[in-house]
Amino acid sequence: MFKELDPILHSQLRLAVISLLISVKEAEFTFLKEKTNSTAGNLSVQINKLKDAGYIDVTKQFSNNYPQTICRITPAGIDAFESYVKALQSYMNPNGQ
Amino acid sequence: MAGEDKVLTEKESLELISKMINKAKNSYHDTGIGPILWGSVITCCSLVTFFQIKYRFDLPFDIWLLTLIAIVPQVFIAIREGRTNKAKGYDDSIMDTVWICFGFSIFLLIFINANVVKQLNPVFQTYIDVKGTRPEFNYSSFSISFFLLLYGIPTIITGVCRNMRPMLYGGIVCWICCVVSVYTKIEWDMILTAVAAIAAWLIPGIIIRSKFLKNRKADV
Repeated sequence: MFKELDPILHSQLRLAVISLLISVKEAEFTFLKEKTNSTAGNLSVQINKLKDAGYIDVTKQFSNNYPQTICRITPAGIDAFESYVKALQSYMNPNGQ
Repeated sequence: MAGEDKVLTEKESLELISKMINKAKNSYHDTGIGPILWGSVITCCSLVTFFQIKYRFDLPFDIWLLTLIAIVPQVFIAIREGRTNKAKGYDDSIMDTVWICFGFSIFLLIFINANVVKQLNPVFQTYIDVKGTRPEFNYSSFSISFFLLLYGIPTIITGVCRNMRPMLYGGIVCWICCVVSVYTKIEWDMILTAVAAIAAWLIPGIIIRSKFLKNRKADV
């Protein structure tokens, strides 16, 4: 029986964002935009979806008079990512369980 | 990245995850300026002290004051690097703590050494009064061994945590120099200090710097 893939993560940009955030403690919005080659508007929408799902924390602050958005993965996000990868592995290797 | 809601195949998902994890890993950019600065300063101070002892001349100031002056650009470097790093790794704060503790340990060691020398001076004076010659024992020579021991600790930790082999080898060179310095006279301890600084910071710093410049060129 295949595990169902988390629809929140099974999207190109959201998966890219979560994969970046799993590798670092925290990242600025501009870092995510640069690494995912996405537009600010698109990225902002996907970040909000991840935030609403409780997978990431978003902190807005000012640094040197410039607005700064910091994103961090939450424990729920880590769990979701791990479950997603396990589900993917079961799809890729159905006999290997 | 085109199409935010593009449906991915399982293979594409795994490829995307590994690509992003690699991108995040490669985003760690140490500029190498810090290690180059400290490698140069310590090498310069050690070599000048070596020549001062060897050729018996004095400078109007203590050359090791350069290490205090070097703290100023180091603070600016740390602030600038902190501003340009758009992502923080899990080990960043650990590395910062290790190096700050190292800095404080150096100052504490200087303080301890100054007090030991202060207490030894009357003993040496009594020895000179009785024997008429200076004693063979020179505490300063041993104090260099303690510094070399300290130099190795954060360098090896950084080398291992950041997977920087040149720094790991440099740290090991510090400890080898530490052992050798126990058996050598103070002027040669200075040469060993210069060797340790070159191996632990200057060479790894130059390697890190050239990698940083290469990555920056590739990003443009």
